[in-house]
Amino acid sequence: MAPLLQKRFFCSEVPKKWAVKQVTKSNFAESMEEIKHDISTSDFVAVSLQKTGSFSAPWHRAHPFDTAETSYYKAKYAAERFQIFQFAVCPFSVNASKLVAHPYNYLLFPRDELKLGMPSYSFSCQTSYLTSMAREGFDFNACIYDGISYLSRAQEDKAKIRIGNPRPSPLILDSTSTPSVADALFIERVKSRVIQWKKTCKKTKENTHDALMNSLRKLILGSEFYGSRPCITIDVCTERQVKLALEMLRDFADELVPVLIPGRSGGTQAVRVVLTSSQEDKDLFESELQRLEEEENKKVRGFREVIDLISASQKPVVSYNSLNDLTFIHSKFIAPLPPTVDEFASSLSKIFPCVLDVSHLMTFIGPLRKVTNIPVAISSSIVISLHQLILKSFTKACLIALIETVIDLLVMPCFGFTAADNEGKIHGHNAVRISHLFAKLCSILKIDPNSNTSDSQVLSAPALTESTNIFNALSTSFEESIDEEISVWTKSKRKVNCEQLVYLWGFGSENTAGKLKTMLHNSHSIFSEEFDIRLVDKSCAVIVFWQPGLAEKFLDVMNNIEKISGSLREMVSEGLRAASYETYKRACKLDIWEANLGESLDRALEDSEYLIEATPESTPIEISCSSDSVINYNDL
Amino acid sequence: MYRLRSARAALARALVHSFSSAAATAPSVPAFPLKQVIKSNFEPALAELRSHVRAADFVAIDLEMTGVTSAPWRECFEFDRSDVRYLKVKDSAEKFAVVQFGVCPFRWDSSNQFNFYIFPRQELNIDGSSSYEYLFQTSSIDFLAKYQFDFNACIHEGISYLSRRQEVDAQKRFDLEYEGESKEVRDMPVVGMVSILFSDRMKNKISEWRDRLLQFQNGESQSQGSQSYSKQQFQTIFFKMRPAISVNGFTSHQLRLIQLVIKNNFEDLSYIRVKGENCESQHLVVYTDSKHDRDLLMKEVKDEHRKQAEMKIQAAIGFRHVIDLLSSEKKLIVGHNCFLDIAHVHNKFVGPLPLEAEDFVASIHKYFPHIIDTKILLNTHPILQQRMKKSKTSLSSAFTMICPHIALSVSSAVASDSYVKVEAQVDDSRCSSWNAGGKHEAGYDAFMTGCIFAQACSYIGIDFKLHSSTENLAYNEKLQKHINHLYLSWTNADIIDLRTGNKVTETLESNPKRRFSNISFENIVLIWGFPSKLKAKDIRCCITKAFGSTSVTSVYHLDETAVFVYFSKTEFVSKFLSLKQNLERSNDDPISVLNPLAELLEGRNTHAADYETYKDICSSPMSKLLFANQAEATCSKWKKTELEETEAVVENRGYSTETASDIKSESFVDRISCDDDKCKQTADLACMPRVMRREE
Repeated sequence: MAPLLQKRFFCSEVPKKWAVKQVTKSNFAESMEEIKHDISTSDFVAVSLQKTGSFSAPWHRAHPFDTAETSYYKAKYAAERFQIFQFAVCPFSVNASKLVAHPYNYLLFPRDELKLGMPSYSFSCQTSYLTSMAREGFDFNACIYDGISYLSRAQEDKAKIRIGNPRPSPLILDSTSTPSVADALFIERVKSRVIQWKKTCKKTKENTHDALMNSLRKLILGSEFYGSRPCITIDVCTERQVKLALEMLRDFADELVPVLIPGRSGGTQAVRVVLTSSQEDKDLFESELQRLEEEENKKVRGFREVIDLISASQKPVVSYNSLNDLTFIHSKFIAPLPPTVDEFASSLSKIFPCVLDVSHLMTFIGPLRKVTNIPVAISSSIVISLHQLILKSFTKACLIALIETVIDLLVMPCFGFTAADNEGKIHGHNAVRISHLFAKLCSILKIDPNSNTSDSQVLSAPALTESTNIFNALSTSFEESIDEEISVWTKSKRKVNCEQLVYLWGFGSENTAGKLKTMLHNSHSIFSEEFDIRLVDKSCAVIVFWQPGLAEKFLDVMNNIEKISGSLREMVSEGLRAASYETYKRACKLDIWEANLGESLDRALEDSEYLIEATPESTPIEISCSSDSVINYNDL
Repeated sequence: MYRLRSARAALARALVHSFSSAAATAPSVPAFPLKQVIKSNFEPALAELRSHVRAADFVAIDLEMTGVTSAPWRECFEFDRSDVRYLKVKDSAEKFAVVQFGVCPFRWDSSNQFNFYIFPRQELNIDGSSSYEYLFQTSSIDFLAKYQFDFNACIHEGISYLSRRQEVDAQKRFDLEYEGESKEVRDMPVVGMVSILFSDRMKNKISEWRDRLLQFQNGESQSQGSQSYSKQQFQTIFFKMRPAISVNGFTSHQLRLIQLVIKNNFEDLSYIRVKGENCESQHLVVYTDSKHDRDLLMKEVKDEHRKQAEMKIQAAIGFRHVIDLLSSEKKLIVGHNCFLDIAHVHNKFVGPLPLEAEDFVASIHKYFPHIIDTKILLNTHPILQQRMKKSKTSLSSAFTMICPHIALSVSSAVASDSYVKVEAQVDDSRCSSWNAGGKHEAGYDAFMTGCIFAQACSYIGIDFKLHSSTENLAYNEKLQKHINHLYLSWTNADIIDLRTGNKVTETLESNPKRRFSNISFENIVLIWGFPSKLKAKDIRCCITKAFGSTSVTSVYHLDETAVFVYFSKTEFVSKFLSLKQNLERSNDDPISVLNPLAELLEGRNTHAADYETYKDICSSPMSKLLFANQAEATCSKWKKTELEETEAVVENRGYSTETASDIKSESFVDRISCDDDKCKQTADLACMPRVMRREE
């Protein structure tokens, strides 16, 4: 029955090109209103990023042996170096069996609009990424010339200090500092000048406009015009003088409005005093200033407005590879990435309270485990035999528990978009694909997205939220190539503790895992117990000792010359080295990202040796055997 | 008067040259004629260039990169010793990509501009382990965008390249790959029912095929029935005149089993893999009738593999052919302030940059025996110095100064005879006036450089007419003092001699940027991580309070997080470092709190080191945005040195208290003519810390 049903359920739609709204600098402002509306009317927001690179060496990408912590370091390293060129946003709702999506694709370029060296001094590009983007017809000129710039929240705060704010904030003059003689002199001088100027301004109003008189007055009093209103500029040398001047001006608050003129390198250069003719005029002027400021801010924030919109809407964010995408989003649009994954998670949860990871959702469906990219994922979701699906979803007791609506088997989703569009090369489509995939998965896994969102609580399906908000780092390695070695590794689903892992390098570059295993097998009695080995890159392998404690024992042997004998000694003399999982963690934590893992581990070891001898009290690496360090062996 | 001719596509204005009449119909002044070279027209352009370079008197080059400095503190400073300067150039050449390469061969009669778009695509995907990764400096990209750089042309159609080193590596890897393949398949135990069954079936099928083949050879005709049966069997095809069967459509595991079966059971069959038409690999089992024939076959296959690999590599070399051409023709290369350009050329097309400037210079001298820098020429030759009237020697301003007739499009009739006439030529059309719009296209910049050089030669009395093309301009004695000299650092007027590796500092007072005639680098202390509110003025104040008002010559900001303190005497360096050490040790005792340095050390994150540490930090391949973070990341080294110093410090213990009591006698008057300007500048340049400070 399966093939027939599949055809009916999944492939019935006619292929249709999706219309993705392309947004650049020129149409950014007008698109804001639209997307604001679309986000507010949708249930979910799918995002997808086109970056300029990902990992520079094989071991830099997330591996099955990575804990949440190490995967975070890896993602952080990439997010800090690479740039986002395209940002696709797709607000969507899933309605019964219909998916309504509003895709947008933003071109981004970190142009230094404010000449402050922000948002980014420089960024890395991998030529392979650029070439593949070129192959897909990406327009680099449009991106660089017309891409939308942005500032992160942290950068905006900094920029505000540097640009200065034209409207003085309610001043807080520290009362403890008593005005010095110089201060008093300054106040008096400015005050008399302002009074003089105000007087003449009022007088001349009655006079006819005499050009000569006007220019003379300009010369003598330094009177100028701010728009249509007369104004005067008070030069200041320090921030203190700014405060003094502002305080002095309070006495004239009914007519005079101070405007701060920023200096070139931050701070305030001068205070401009603007004379308004009446109370209404003053209010008008102040609101004018406020509008100006807001416009300026908009310009400063750029694309971040969109991020702020999504964040403000509190809608669940759906992404394919959430850890990677969200570290990018955090570092570009929020603030520099915090040093630990916990801080990152808490910082992020303030911005996006709910993040759904489609790739993680898919792990609930067995056959999808080896999915490489989104188009493939979609097509393979079509091929999953229904029978299997049902079984799978039923074994997931936690999921079943939260499903109240029993979906009729025959009522499969028939979405507004189809997956048959294999030529969808324009990147914006990925966000649509993600939403599509998400809807399908929900239906397959019998999660009703609507029942969730219609509740006042965001997603009444706690398990869904839980399972997705943890950025399940362990399952990020979908790009596993299926080679022969893998058969060794998929015999059973076994959990491994990090402590059972040992990294091994310095065995020459021509070895395969199999050869290495035989070599080790004969080298020492420890290896007579069951163990498995796998190459991480050319230089380094990871060993799993199935018997707890053996890893430690092995490291002990490696560190003790007397205990080494036989062929293991030979191998060690040839340059074989070993390190614990802690060393690996430290290498990630210390940002030691050499091209070869062996090199990095060597350096991490050096570093730790130094740390131990120099400051023995400050070796804070506590070994945590919490659940996050338990690795699913099947993924390894 | 002698004429340099150049060319372009269409023409304008009243041209005095007879050959220009053909293009007189052109409506307006055309844009500068440049031959844009991309992937698709690379081959013919290379051939054309080859003939032009051969005939040329000199070749001007210019490069456009994706950036110059990977962090603000990597910019060129006054306090850069020549070795540090080289490290900074090295860093830049290693991190950024070259996106455009302008080559402009000049002949006494003509000049041709080629503008190559290059992009380092990974065309040979052999090991796939390391990926090409380059930095893009936002401001540089913006700069290129301002001059309408075509990024699409560059990335979509740029010419790729391999350096010499990469070529050698690729060759090695191909050889290894082939050897690994041709090696006999190692015995592996056939495990599992499935594999055993498959092996048996294969053995039977292959032996059937072989038997039939032999029967056929022996002249025994086959019955109709067995023929129809054979349809399920292997189809006999011919490979290099030998009967063969194709075994495509199996998994690599199955192929290995087949290989094993053949090795163990059939002496006269061999398993080979060849590249088919569409670059797909074909797996074949070939019948050979003797051992000799078999060896022959294997050799043939091997040769074919090698040839294919070579062709692939040749194609991947791409743009480097141009560099090889310039090198092999030993022409005089002309650049403008081209040390960085040459470093890029070395890094991209020769091999990784050596650690020391001397080694680099020796290596590049072998490759390009004659290089001349127009900036040096203009600054050091007395006649040209006079001409330049102390104006700026940046490329465009030098061009306007030296070649006003070209830069300002003064028609050739008006221009005086002392001006060298230059004509640009592209393809077969030539012209001598154009719209000087193509600035900052590498090709146009190279053209300007060449024009400056030609004009400069004429000013200093080199008559091109007298030189037959056989005589190499590079040996002209009038140029000998300047040839193969490059500015290691323009700010410091450090010149390096490519022939000897000697570094000289320009003695002339012509460089107004230079404030200190002789910097003694051992007098410098590097401080970073101090409280951010402290500016150069404050730091100077702190230190002079502790060491006397004349102790500090200058305080210079590297960026917002770090300063150089230039002491007037070397001894202050060790005194300062030890005092700092002591103050940090004595945890908040009253004396240390009173010490004027306490303000500097506030926050307990302040670090100091000598100039050598600065060099170490510069040599790190990392580039954090802020210097303090960079220093911290390259930490283990300086931490160690600091610790070693601690021991030495103990003896000086008495010193700190002494100074502490001295403080009050020091005047608080700030006599600093300080580097406020410099501070402002650096503050302008400084940017957001995108890099997180690590906690430990």
